[in-house]
Amino acid sequence: MNLPSSTEQLPENDLLKIILADLRRTVREYTTATTESSCPSIRRTFAELTDSTLRLQGDLYMLLEQNKVYSAPASASRQEIDKKIQEAEQSHQKVHQFVQQRSAQNNPYLHPSNVSYHQTNVQQQNPRYI
Amino acid sequence: MNHMQMKPLSGKEVNYIADSVANEDMLIKMCAAAAAVSTNSQLGQAITEHMLVHEHHMHTLIDALKQHQQLAPTQAQ
Repeated sequence: MNLPSSTEQLPENDLLKIILADLRRTVREYTTATTESSCPSIRRTFAELTDSTLRLQGDLYMLLEQNKVYSAPASASRQEIDKKIQEAEQSHQKVHQFVQQRSAQNNPYLHPSNVSYHQTNVQQQNPRYI
Repeated sequence: MNHMQMKPLSGKEVNYIADSVANEDMLIKMCAAAAAVSTNSQLGQAITEHMLVHEHHMHTLIDALKQHQQLAPTQAQ
């Protein structure tokens, strides 16, 4: 097998994947720099650079997907999503009760809610109800 | 830039800016290399535009350092 010599350039797709990985890393570094800035104007600068780099990363990823350099990830199954919704709603209910109990302890004169947590009955598919 | 919102740069902020300049420098070079070998006009055009954005990022970072130059103490604290 002929290995590329040091004078040969990397194939286009390899370079693009390296750029994409570098953009992901740079976004993380800009995010860290933003959160650790004490000067407000520097914080704003890093926040804008984070946003701009995120757009470049998204743009390049879409182009690589369109040009079949990357394949789209497999979709999650309906069962998996249904299970996660159920788990999330249980967590939400628990934390809602937790907050109500703490609010009642902190302010005994506060009238507790007489509406218990309940799932929405709004049809998500029908935009007329949104 | 609103000068009321500017404070002297900490050592940490200066290092983050310097590291970011190095990151943008590398991204500019990578984009230039990819554009030079590109056989796909859509990708080649896009990566050339990205390169210009990274150059703008680099200018922004250098300008940020320059704007804070006057606020820096002359002696280490």
